Amino acid sequence: MTIAVLLKQVPDTTAKISVNGGRVDENAVSKWSFSPYDEYALEAALQLKESAGGDLVAITAGPARCEKLLRDAAAVGADTLVHVSAENINDLDSTQVQNLLAAAVQKSGASVIFCGKQAADTNAGSTGPGVAELIGASCVTLVSEVSSDGSEYTATRPSSAGHEKVAVSAPCVFALDKGITEMRRPNVRGIMMAKKKPIETWSVDDLGIDIGATGVSIDSHSPPAEKPPGQKFEGAESVSTVVGKLRDEANVI
Amino acid sequence: MPYEALDFYDVDSLLTDEERMVRDMVRDFVDEEVIPKIEHACRDGVFPDEWRVALGEMGVLGAPLEGYDCPGLSYTAYGVICRELERGDSGLRSFASVQGSLAMYPIWDFGSEEQKQHYLPKMASGEWIGCFGLTEPDYGSNPGDMITKAEDMGDYYLLNGAKMWITNGTIAQLAVVWAKLDGVIRGFIVEKDDPGFSAPEMKGKHSLKASVTSELVFQDCKIPKDRILPGVKGLRGPFSCLNNARYGISWGAVGAAQACFDSAKDYALSRIQFTHPIASYQLVQNKLAWMLREITKAQLLAYHLGQKKDAGTWIPEHISLAKMNNVDIALEIAREARDIHGANGILDEYCIMRHMANLESVKTYEGTHDIHNLILGRHITGIQAFTREL
Repeated sequence: MTIAVLLKQVPDTTAKISVNGGRVDENAVSKWSFSPYDEYALEAALQLKESAGGDLVAITAGPARCEKLLRDAAAVGADTLVHVSAENINDLDSTQVQNLLAAAVQKSGASVIFCGKQAADTNAGSTGPGVAELIGASCVTLVSEVSSDGSEYTATRPSSAGHEKVAVSAPCVFALDKGITEMRRPNVRGIMMAKKKPIETWSVDDLGIDIGATGVSIDSHSPPAEKPPGQKFEGAESVSTVVGKLRDEANVI
Repeated sequence: MPYEALDFYDVDSLLTDEERMVRDMVRDFVDEEVIPKIEHACRDGVFPDEWRVALGEMGVLGAPLEGYDCPGLSYTAYGVICRELERGDSGLRSFASVQGSLAMYPIWDFGSEEQKQHYLPKMASGEWIGCFGLTEPDYGSNPGDMITKAEDMGDYYLLNGAKMWITNGTIAQLAVVWAKLDGVIRGFIVEKDDPGFSAPEMKGKHSLKASVTSELVFQDCKIPKDRILPGVKGLRGPFSCLNNARYGISWGAVGAAQACFDSAKDYALSRIQFTHPIASYQLVQNKLAWMLREITKAQLLAYHLGQKKDAGTWIPEHISLAKMNNVDIALEIAREARDIHGANGILDEYCIMRHMANLESVKTYEGTHDIHNLILGRHITGIQAFTREL
C-alpha cells in the first residue's frame, strides 16, 4: 500500500507578511514552514504507515524552495519525496493545483491520501475534496484520527452529537483538522537519512496533464486593517464607562 | 513573543542544510520542552529526567563522534546544538557537554574496543549518563598536582581520593575518573555501584540550579582491571576532553547571549517610561547596539572555530580565545540585559538573571577566564605564567 501526504509550504506563522505592489512579497518572508494542518496530516500518515504498513510518499507543489519541506518530511519518516515543480504556483487557482496534485498522486500509485483541512496562507480548504473528486476517491474532512483494520479505514471527525467515525475504503482522502498528536520531532538519524534521500521532481509535462487556464483572477492582496489603539481609563469614576463599553462595544459581559 | 535568534550577519546561512535542520530540531525542543519547565527545575534544583530522554531520542549526545551508534555530526553541528541548548539554560548544555565531550569522548578516543562497544551505544541513547572527574577540592586550575590515586592490586585497581564540582555526578551510571597510577595520570571508568564509590550532591548553588553538581568520593574503591582507559597517559587525556567541551561552550555562550538580547529588546520596546518606550532612549539603544556587536563577533568566532575543528586545523589556544571571549561577553550581556529590565529583571518571569547567574559558573569552569588568558599569554610569549618559584 502506498500512502501519500500532500504538503504545502507557507510563510511561518511568526513571519511578518508585507504586501508590495498589491501582492504578498515572498522575498520578504523570513521563514517558510509546513502549513500547520499539514503537520497533523503528516503525523496521521506516519502513524497509519506504522500500524498498517506501506510506503509513505510526501508530495508538494511549488517553487524550488519547497524542497526543504520534503527534507523535513523525510527526517520524520517519509519514504519517497515528490516535488511537483511549479515556479508559478501563485498564478494557479485551486482547481489547477488540485489537478497537479491529483496527477502526482496517481503517478505515485497512492491509494490513501492525507492532507491538511486548509492551508494557513489561502485558507481555501479545497485541496482534499478537490483531489478526491479528480481521482474518484472517497473524502472525509475535518479528521482528527485515522485507523485501519486492514481493509477499511476509520476516520474520526466532529458531528452534531460530538464525534462520528466514518469508515471508507481505498481510494480515500483524509483532510486533517487538529489531530490528537502533534507532529513528531525528527532526530539526527532521520536528518542524516533525509539528506541522502533523492527528491523526484515532476514537471507538468512529466505528469502528462493539461491544467487548463485559470478561471480566477486576484485583483490584489492587502494587509489586514490595523487594530485600533487600545483605550485607557483611570480612576474609580470611569468604572461605569468601562462596564458600558465592555457590554455594548466588546460584547464580553 | 516567540524567540527570535539574533543573527545580524546571517551567519547561519553558512551552515549546511543538515546543520540547520539539527538547529531547528533542538530549537523546537528548547521552545516546547525546556522553556516552559526551566524555572520550576531551577526552583526545585533538579535536572528533569525527560530532558535526558529527549536528548537521547533526538540523537544529539556525543554529536561529533562516529560509530558505536554515535551521531557522527560535524563539530560545527555540535556547536550549533550547544548554542541552542544553552539558549534554554546553561545547565542543560552542561549536561550535554559532559555526556558527549567529557564522558563519551575519552571512551571513544582512549578506550579499548570492548569499552567502546559496551558503553558508547547506551550513552548515545541517553540510557546511561556519564560524568567526568578531574577537579579536586584543592586542585582546580592546577589538575596536574591531583592527589587522587590508583593502585594496581594485581586483580583490580584500588582508587582513593575525592573529586569536586562534578556535573551529573549523582545521576550518572559511570564516571570517567582521572587518577595517578604510579605518579602518572590515567583515566578509569568507575561505575555507580562499584564498592567504595559514592557521589553526594552539592547543594545550595545560586547558579546552574537545573544541573546536578556532585562530589565523587573514592574510599578503597575497587574497580576491575579492564576499566582503565588504555589509550592515554598524562594530562593530555583530560585536556583532550576539555578542548571539545570548551569548544562547545564557545557556541553555548552565544545562545545564552542571544536569549538575553531577545528578552532585553522586547522589554525595551514594551516598557514605557516618561511616556515613551525605553528603547527610544539613546542610553538603552547604546546597550542594545553593543550587545548586537558583541554577539555578532562571538557568532563569527564560534563559526570559524567550528570550521577549523572540522578541518582539523585548530590549536587549543584557538579554543581558549573563543571560550574566554564568548562567555565573557555573554555574561556582560546578561548583566546589561538585567539592567535594561530594571526591577523586573530580577524575577524569574524573565530568563536573564538565570542566564547571568549560570554564566558566572561557565566563566569559571572548563578553564577559568584568567587561565585562558595565561594560555594565550604563553602562546604569544613562549613563557608560561601559571606558576613560579616564590
